[in-house]
Amino acid sequence: MSTPAAEHPSIEILSLYATGDLPFVQRFRTSVHVRHCAACEQHVLTFQSTKAELRRESQGEVLTGYEAIADWQALEADMLGNIRVGVAASRCIENVGRRSRPGFRLAWGTGMAALFMAGWVARVPADESGRLISVLRRVVGLDQAPFNGTVLRSTRDGISVKARGATLTILHPESAVISMSGPASVTARYVDDDSGQVTITNVYGQ
Amino acid sequence: MIPGKSQLRMSTASNLRFISQTALLLLLAPVLSHAADERGKWFDVEFPHDSPVVSVGFDFGPSTITSRGPSMVIDLHAAHTLRNVGTKPICGLTLRVEAQDLSPHGRGSVIKPSLFVLPGEEFPVKVDMQLVRPISAARSESAMVQVTIDCALFSDLKAYGPDKLNSKRTLMVYEMEARRDRQFLTRLLDGGRLPELREELNFGNQDFIPRQLGLELLTGPRTIPAREQALTVSPVNFPKGPVQPLGGAAQVAGNEVRAPRVDIRNVSKLHVVSVAMGWIVRDGHGTDFVAGALTSRLPIGPVQTSFISEAGTLRFSLPSGAPMVIDRLMTFVNDVEFADGTVWIPSRDDIEAATQDYILRRELATSPEEQRLASIYRREGTDGLKKELKRVSLSNSKPN
Repeated sequence: MSTPAAEHPSIEILSLYATGDLPFVQRFRTSVHVRHCAACEQHVLTFQSTKAELRRESQGEVLTGYEAIADWQALEADMLGNIRVGVAASRCIENVGRRSRPGFRLAWGTGMAALFMAGWVARVPADESGRLISVLRRVVGLDQAPFNGTVLRSTRDGISVKARGATLTILHPESAVISMSGPASVTARYVDDDSGQVTITNVYGQ
Repeated sequence: MIPGKSQLRMSTASNLRFISQTALLLLLAPVLSHAADERGKWFDVEFPHDSPVVSVGFDFGPSTITSRGPSMVIDLHAAHTLRNVGTKPICGLTLRVEAQDLSPHGRGSVIKPSLFVLPGEEFPVKVDMQLVRPISAARSESAMVQVTIDCALFSDLKAYGPDKLNSKRTLMVYEMEARRDRQFLTRLLDGGRLPELREELNFGNQDFIPRQLGLELLTGPRTIPAREQALTVSPVNFPKGPVQPLGGAAQVAGNEVRAPRVDIRNVSKLHVVSVAMGWIVRDGHGTDFVAGALTSRLPIGPVQTSFISEAGTLRFSLPSGAPMVIDRLMTFVNDVEFADGTVWIPSRDDIEAATQDYILRRELATSPEEQRLASIYRREGTDGLKKELKRVSLSNSKPN
């Protein structure tokens, strides 16, 4: 379905939409448009791919080390511990002052919760909400910890396999032709200028 | 090191660079002192005593070790000179590259198809690689990166090697494609069909390379995208193929393909042990890309029907890095291995009859050997091509 150019969201809106940084109403409006507009969908895919690329690069370059990952896990465990302490503390004090004006307290609490929810939905990006929900689901045991599988990738300079925090890249010239060569392998093929021989490189994951 | 092992021999300049980089790492991470004491152990080339090839030369080139955040980056550019010390001509070789940090989850290989190395002859093999590993990661006694032989294929299509990467089958397919394409080009030359020859070899145009795409393959469980939808997989049939694709489906979301499944039928009278399905991806602009072939071990009796399905998620992108919107998926039988050890590949006539699309036909017919011969034609013209075809023909006719 084509849409008149005048109705397209701006490129800034699309980039914020792609990264999940739009408020709820604007996000909903943009998603309706993107679902029916191939050009805008392409823009969004490009932004998402770039974001994913940057995230991968930063993970590959900085957070590859076990130490960095271990620090994050320690930090996460600390956060989850604090949440549990908060929940336990609220249980301890929930009986205090129970007899005084329960109707008023209930109404006040519900109102505040509704206000908080409205503010959250309108202001907090979906990405952040999703992350929080994911952490809470893991706290209550509904989700498992994310699985770090093996990733095989082609780049302009090489094909790589990333597993267990390390990355092995077999390099090739820009002219190399990339293809799949198995359910868990990627291939690059090129003619070596020096020897005139064909060289085929592969990376394999398990 | 045992005599069969080839220890690194670095040039003086490389040595100095290596030492300075190691010194830097020592300052950054005391844990590296152990590695520095045993610097010879971080890269090792090893061939078994009965290997048909041995390393007779090694150049470490511009290899470096640097630190990047909490990681160590080993940039390795190794040029080996190998010698055929066996009794048969070698027509293909696979070297396995293993890094202890990734084992057993990941590894690499360097394949040299279309070699024609006679006994006693030497040939070069380059290994250009980069390993990024955590500085603090534990090390075992073995080298960080090990290179060894996985398979050598001789001109009589017999093989040597542990074949941990299923290399024998891969080398056999490359060799059969090479023989098919050499025969085809010889026929064009002998018949004086030079305009067809020129067209086949891209008019000696250096800029012509097959269509490129970017790939990412994710293994392991993932969240299924909400917008994922089923896409029909269209079969491309080679009329004389022993196995025919019947059709199939895959789950597609944007530039991601998940869980492709194809129904196939063995129309021959032979028992099939494995089938490699080729995949063609059409993007949003109607351009077809041959994405490669996935080999599945799948015993199928004569005239039986079965199906092939793959786990994992494939993500396609254009060479620029932009995601490729997948419009259509097509599949074809790239090669078939029978129980008697023989392999079928499509003939030139099969490819010709499979599709009316000229560009797609070219993509299907482009083998590593044709790429090599096109490079010779570009540099040396028709005379050089004739000479090379004659040389290979003589190599293959030597008694084994």
